[in-house]
Amino acid sequence: MPKIRRPLEQINKIDEEELLILKKRVDIATAIIIIFVAFLIARLWFLQIHKGEEYGRLSENNRIRIQETQAPRGNILDRHGRIIITNRPYFNLVWTKEDAPDPDYVIKRLSRILNEDISTLLSRIREASGRPRYVPILLKEDIDWKTLVYIENHHFELPGVRVEAVPSRDYLYQNLASHLIGYLGEISKEELKKKEYSNYQGGDPIGKMGIEKVFEKELRGEKGHRYLEVDVHGFEQQELEQQDPLPGRDLQLTLDIDIQRTAEKALEGLGGAVVAMEVNTGNLLALASSPPLQLEEFVGGISSKAWKKLLENPLHPLFDKTIQGQYPPGSTYKIVTALAGLAEGVITPETILYCPGSMRLHGRRYGCWKASGHGAVSLTQALAESCDVYFYQVGLKVGVDKLATYAESLGLGQKTGIILENEKEGLVPTSDWKKRRKNESWQEGETLSVSIGQGFNLTTPLQVCRMTAAIVNGGKILRPHIIAEIKDPDGSTIQKTEPEVVGEAFGNAQQRNSIIKGLVAAVNNRHGTSGNAKLANITVGGKTGTAQVVRMKKFKSMPEAELPRKYRDHAWFTCFAPAENPEIAITVLIEHGGHGGSAAAPIAKKILEEYFKDRLKQDVEP
Amino acid sequence: MLWIMLIATMCLMNLYSAIYPSKPLSTPVYIKQLYFFIMGMGIILAIISVDYRIFMSWNYPIYGAVCLLLLYALLLGKSQAGTQRWINLGFFNLQPSEPAKLMLVITLASFYSRKDTGKGFTLKELGVPILLTAVPFLLILKQPDLGTALMLGFIFVSMTLFVKLKWQTLSILLGVCSSMIPIAWKFLLKPYQRQRIETFLNPESDPLRTGYHIMQSKIAVGSGLTFGKGYLQGTQGHLDFLPERHTDFAFSIWAEEFGFFGSVIFLSVYFFLVLWGLNSAVSSRDKFGTLLCIGVVSLLFWQAFINLAMVMGMLPVVGMPLPLFSYGGSSLMTSMAGIGILISVRMRRYQVPS
Repeated sequence: MPKIRRPLEQINKIDEEELLILKKRVDIATAIIIIFVAFLIARLWFLQIHKGEEYGRLSENNRIRIQETQAPRGNILDRHGRIIITNRPYFNLVWTKEDAPDPDYVIKRLSRILNEDISTLLSRIREASGRPRYVPILLKEDIDWKTLVYIENHHFELPGVRVEAVPSRDYLYQNLASHLIGYLGEISKEELKKKEYSNYQGGDPIGKMGIEKVFEKELRGEKGHRYLEVDVHGFEQQELEQQDPLPGRDLQLTLDIDIQRTAEKALEGLGGAVVAMEVNTGNLLALASSPPLQLEEFVGGISSKAWKKLLENPLHPLFDKTIQGQYPPGSTYKIVTALAGLAEGVITPETILYCPGSMRLHGRRYGCWKASGHGAVSLTQALAESCDVYFYQVGLKVGVDKLATYAESLGLGQKTGIILENEKEGLVPTSDWKKRRKNESWQEGETLSVSIGQGFNLTTPLQVCRMTAAIVNGGKILRPHIIAEIKDPDGSTIQKTEPEVVGEAFGNAQQRNSIIKGLVAAVNNRHGTSGNAKLANITVGGKTGTAQVVRMKKFKSMPEAELPRKYRDHAWFTCFAPAENPEIAITVLIEHGGHGGSAAAPIAKKILEEYFKDRLKQDVEP
Repeated sequence: MLWIMLIATMCLMNLYSAIYPSKPLSTPVYIKQLYFFIMGMGIILAIISVDYRIFMSWNYPIYGAVCLLLLYALLLGKSQAGTQRWINLGFFNLQPSEPAKLMLVITLASFYSRKDTGKGFTLKELGVPILLTAVPFLLILKQPDLGTALMLGFIFVSMTLFVKLKWQTLSILLGVCSSMIPIAWKFLLKPYQRQRIETFLNPESDPLRTGYHIMQSKIAVGSGLTFGKGYLQGTQGHLDFLPERHTDFAFSIWAEEFGFFGSVIFLSVYFFLVLWGLNSAVSSRDKFGTLLCIGVVSLLFWQAFINLAMVMGMLPVVGMPLPLFSYGGSSLMTSMAGIGILISVRMRRYQVPS
């Protein structure tokens, strides 16, 4: 090919002059190379020395995955140590986006393994779209054992897929004490922002209501951590370090499962509340609000449909009626009026007042529930038969403001201090209150209403129960307790609840005894209103109440049973037993239940029978 | 020769680490690379046993043969990951673009040594070498293999600058080239190549996709710190975070395991190899030898520089092996053949051409 066959060598040969030029150029080339090498070394220095720490950290982040292990949440026990709520592992299938090079393939396989639509899985992935790529996404909760084994065996074919054992709540008694215990949910974005939840992560369970919420700190325990070395596909290579989780503390409640269950069963289908309290300690044996919450619905977040249904239910299941329900106390309030009358010297236990069936005041007629009248009645009789006119007269003489101080001394119109959220105060009306609130002066007629527990008065079932206890325990106003003990997982007691006296009822023992006598008569006398709560061998004392609901004129004259439910009266019954040495106070409220004696007292009786079951048997057998 | 042994040892050691813990599949790459080294030694011996001046007149036949190989690879070659680079030779897959680099060095050296007047080239006189470069350049670009194609350009520019240009020529060429860049961006580059350059400019924007290689390589190099994580202790490599770690990103492994000190030693070894090559260029008695050496040196140097700069995140990712260090038979043997030429020129420095 080369066509020029000239003396190549002549051109090719390098003479002295050319050699010098050549050397110069090579020097330039050397200089250029040195500059470039210097560049490389400078870059090396920058990466390895200057920024080395940072890259070192990045490389550690690359290879080390911190896996959190949830601590088992503390158990919730009843007063006898029986477990109400514990944990059971849910095997959840999670998927880490960062570790999955080929998500489509994995999702397709999973949909076959789990027998679930691809779209369901994809929507779960979409929901978690805001989170960082390394946070596992929950694809399916509570997979069965067979699926679990299959996935563990095929994990090499399913990069990024993992099964996590997550301790979840196991409700051994379903919805027992649901309002009180509450439920867990995923921590919300707002909660995550709070300082007290700084050691939580998105997706962590947290108590949303009841003692699960109030005692979140005790119940939660501390998460454990596993430091794993993983390769680029997310497969574990080895475990570098492990910190075991610290289980949460156990809560022993004051509740008795049997009594609570009896109460809830008795309330089934009704809207109402039962409070049972040990009169000397303030410990609650039952705190039931009906209808109960379906706790299972709340696991994993309640659906908006279920929530709407709860909101629209006429029995208001969302509402804890024991501490949030405020109702006019009805005739149970006659206990207050009686105490005020005795202590103020308006009456003595022997005072006889006349009931003609109604009373006139300033030209208006105020009727007794018994239109034919009770005739001449003593205090005992008045309480037993719930004579309205008797207490109109007592209340009128005491005056509304004096009466209010007695109500307050019995713990009404104020929070009881139970360690639950959203407790209501109720209302004890005074003339001042009316002036402030309505800018009207007090009418004496209103005093009559107040003295029999109608009118402006509002009480919660828990308040009424505590008041009942105070009458029979020597006048002590106790703080109601639901937690008996907080225990460490090893069984040692961290904190034990002691009775807490927060106030003292006005009046003396003699005056209280007069009232007790009346309440015992109410249950046991022939004409007593509370005969439905009578037990064979245990003396019960109690007071019924029928709280009128504001209703339109056209319903005024209708018989109770024919009224639409929402216009029917609330039925109350509050009682204690045994009368000789009282142990327990029980208050029952049935919303729109009608008469206390017929609607509420039988429920209280069932609870009393449960509480005294051993003694009742003993007495029958021999 | 000793120097090559040193580099070979470093290379094999590093390859062993790159695939550590080894999978019991087929022949491990460090063993294969050892075979290639031995074959490369054979090539060196073959080259130094003949007078390099023979290439001066054989340049066009070699040129034609390599171009045919490139064409063959393009039309009938083995396809891998969307590129047509390989010719199956039975015992190994030849990548003809590798010897093409060396071929260009020989061709240009031959051309320039014949035409050099010492007064510098005009644009017109450069027509032939530009054409000579353009043919394999386009063939390789078509494969597509941007890195190697660019390498041809680098060799051309380096050698042409070395033989001296007229100032006007230089400025015209510069002007044309710079105006070519936007056109090339639009029409010559494939989308993935464009994306690589884009992610290079902003690697953190999408760390798990295109910027991933650069990020992981920088992490590997950076986390080596002063003294490295220790041999076989690198985590980036062994846990698979580092892609292509036995080929283009071989140096990342080295830097991760031996740190700044190890890396500087590594650079010095290469630096001295290049200086030695330049020294050979000056020692030659004839222009062809000098230009051959300059060509080989620019081949080795630019490849090494671009590879290292890429690994350290200073340049976008282009397929560019580190000569003598990355796994790959074609590249290794080409590099060794180049070194053979350097030795050959140096050996004959006292031989006065007849």
